[in-house]
Amino acid sequence: MRGPTAKAFKQGFLRSFLLSLKSCRTGDMSLQERKRAVRSSADAAMATARGGGAIWPRALLASSSSSPSSSSWPGLLLNAAKVKTTRCKSTARRCCRPKRSSSEMIARRLVRKRTKILRGMVPGGELLDSVSLLREAMDYVVHLRAQVAVLRRVSNAMHHMAATSYLTGLDLSRLAQGLLHRVCN
Amino acid sequence: MSSSSRRSRSRRAGTSVSSSSSRSISEDQISDLLSKLEALLPDAQARNGAQRGPASRVLQETCSYIRSLHREVDDLSETLAALLASDAVTAEQAAVIRSLLM
Repeated sequence: MRGPTAKAFKQGFLRSFLLSLKSCRTGDMSLQERKRAVRSSADAAMATARGGGAIWPRALLASSSSSPSSSSWPGLLLNAAKVKTTRCKSTARRCCRPKRSSSEMIARRLVRKRTKILRGMVPGGELLDSVSLLREAMDYVVHLRAQVAVLRRVSNAMHHMAATSYLTGLDLSRLAQGLLHRVCN
Repeated sequence: MSSSSRRSRSRRAGTSVSSSSSRSISEDQISDLLSKLEALLPDAQARNGAQRGPASRVLQETCSYIRSLHREVDDLSETLAALLASDAVTAEQAAVIRSLLM
């Protein structure tokens, strides 16, 4: 992700993430429940900030949301992708020619197996052909890294705040601006 | 969606073996994407432009990398959850959040 795109994503992610956290009533939760709330806020924020240029954001939002209306998108995607995947199965059988060496076949089997694992790791990966899966995986990795980076900076900043919160007369708006600046740059 | 465009799309996706030229196009595509994916992995710097590793290895390392990134997000979520719980930051949190969103 290049400079301005990365910055825009991180800022969008931070805003969505904090908005989501703010709306959670975390007061009465156990640590595990709060952790789950933070995690799903982070994932939802990452998906929202990414927007419509990839498949994984919609898949991520659909899997975290429990509303029945979110189940409509897999159907739309399935109609487009189903043709490809069924065709893939039938031609794969046809293309296993006997003259291919056994080491090649082992390599192919390994690739197929690991591709399947990758499908499970990328949201929405189950419905994609190999080429789209690789593209999605790249996009997903890049945004996961940005998510980690922002979360780490928020965590560091909040640690810092906790450590200095005993100071009275702290200019909180300046602290907030500093936090935003540190987190997004 | 016409059937001819569906056919050509699946050919591009590498599922048709009707001609050797269409297979090599998608193999090139996949090879290119695998190289780009490999460049994202943690030890890409060490590889330093060496020839791309086998597809199976790139896929495996991508899966491990995603797994480790997920774990990092999980750990950070736990840290943040603990920070949200500590009384010392509650008032400041609310103020920060409000200020950031103004």
